[in-house]
Amino acid sequence: MTNPAARAVTIEGMNKFYGGFHALKDINLTVDPGEKVVVCGPSGSGKSTMIRCINRLEEHNSGLIEVLGTPLNDDVGNIDEIRREVGMVFQHFNLFPHMTVLENCVLAPMLVRKTPRAQAEAAAMKYLEKVRIPEQAQKYPGQLSGGQQQRVAIARSLCMGPKIMLFDEPTSALDPEMISEVLDVMVSLASDGMTMICVTHEMGFARRVADRVIFMDRGEIVETADPETFFTAPKNERTQQFLAQVTGH
Amino acid sequence: MSDVARHAVSGQPAPPGIGERLRKDYFRSPQQALISILGLGFFAWILWTVANWAIFSAVFDGDASPEECRAASGACWTVIAQRWRIILFGLYPFEEQWRSALACVTVVAMVVLSCLPSSWTGKRLAAIWLIGTALFYVLMKGGLLGMPLIGEERWGGLALTLFIFVTTCLIGFPLSIVLALLRRSELPVISKGIGLFIDAVRSLPLLSILFAFAVVVPFMLPQWLQAGKLYRVIFGAALFFAAYQAEIIRGGMQGVATGQSEAAKSLGLGYWQRTSRILLPQAMRNALPATINQFVISFKETSLVIVVGFFEILASGNAAYGTGDWTFAYREVYAFIALIYFVFVFSLSRYGAYLERRMAVGEL
Repeated sequence: MTNPAARAVTIEGMNKFYGGFHALKDINLTVDPGEKVVVCGPSGSGKSTMIRCINRLEEHNSGLIEVLGTPLNDDVGNIDEIRREVGMVFQHFNLFPHMTVLENCVLAPMLVRKTPRAQAEAAAMKYLEKVRIPEQAQKYPGQLSGGQQQRVAIARSLCMGPKIMLFDEPTSALDPEMISEVLDVMVSLASDGMTMICVTHEMGFARRVADRVIFMDRGEIVETADPETFFTAPKNERTQQFLAQVTGH
Repeated sequence: MSDVARHAVSGQPAPPGIGERLRKDYFRSPQQALISILGLGFFAWILWTVANWAIFSAVFDGDASPEECRAASGACWTVIAQRWRIILFGLYPFEEQWRSALACVTVVAMVVLSCLPSSWTGKRLAAIWLIGTALFYVLMKGGLLGMPLIGEERWGGLALTLFIFVTTCLIGFPLSIVLALLRRSELPVISKGIGLFIDAVRSLPLLSILFAFAVVVPFMLPQWLQAGKLYRVIFGAALFFAAYQAEIIRGGMQGVATGQSEAAKSLGLGYWQRTSRILLPQAMRNALPATINQFVISFKETSLVIVVGFFEILASGNAAYGTGDWTFAYREVYAFIALIYFVFVFSLSRYGAYLERRMAVGEL
């Protein structure tokens, strides 16, 4: 079982290679339950790879990853257990196009947690209301806008009752006018006390919600700071450059 | 509001009338008009020739003699009236042919039932196929309930064609899914091995595979492993079907975005859950047009079993005109058989089109 008193995520000395390419270098990171961490950095800096290691969508090559007290290793049982407790929202939503919104939401609770259908549907409707989209429950993903699809994807993850939510650039594929509807949902999720690790370029969101901002570049964590310090007095030169680029306009 | 008024309101031009459209599409220039008229004339000539042969100058009297028939300039449908039982039932004993007819109805009912979206659950499909196949087998083979035993070597005609087709698909389709999944295995030994196997089967002609299973396999396998010749041939055809269909399904799988499997993993779904609920349903949608094509080809390829001594519908047709007085009436027999093939294959194609329309809405 996962240990409720444990840290949400512990990463120590973690390295990841793609062939000869050193994608993640000696990553150390701890996230406490309820904490909101925003990860930013230029593209190719390894931020997506890092959070994808947390639920084993990518395999790390060395070092330690512990999620809710369970070590992430070759034990398939551990991987399954961690994935049940860790939700993930993707850049391209990845809803299942051959199922209705409601089916998307009840699938995993019914298959993985063996929740009876009626109960799973009731829970799904509760979360669809939370992301303000209950009226679309019977539609197919292809009939929804990008912003709506991403909100459904968040609801689908929440239906598993995760203790940690990972967001991998959730607004990067959206038209500008749809970004705020997704960020609003994420802000309300944060205020409910969810543990969140978000890879995002939305600096406004980071300022408002994050307990900590992490800056990554070339596979390394370059700087970690609270948002106030991070945006007003970044120490590292690369951080300063990056911030000048994303906030310069 | 009339059409014209509505268009006047919306500011759209009124759609052209039918005469206007014809003129625009087919008679825009003198050359185009000439080609249109020639084409139309050619088409009308073919239609007239066929209709004249098949209907206007044809003999429809079921009791006409071969001489009367020969005298007519058109088709002699008398041969069908007199020999349809041989075409449909082959060498199956005359008094028992009702069983063969009932068996055909069983197969058709089984296929229609399993094509209905409401039967698409594992349990229902399994029940339909199990009951359908058992019913077919009992009807055809007999040996119980007062029905005399009739061995597979005397099965023939449409019943045999349908039986070979359906069993080939029932064995070949699940096998193709297994092959396609194994070919995607992360273990190179398995994926390469299966790839080699598929390529090997695909590089052999179906005829040689049928020969091998009918004639060569008995020398290689111990007695207790040898099923009857018909079942060996069906297994060979199923293997051939599976090799092609596996590649079609693999193509369909490649069209499923990797994000789909990642999303399923992140939700905690295991390999079989991901495969059965996320990967295969979408892969099958992508592969549907090619799959229908494969079914159509397999249906028509059942006629190849003639070379290993089975009288499916085409071979039975040969027998129907080949004996006695009707040797001149081969055209009519082949036209009749072509019509039977057409009814089955065309239904299959229309069903495929229906599925594609359904999928366009997302409901599959």
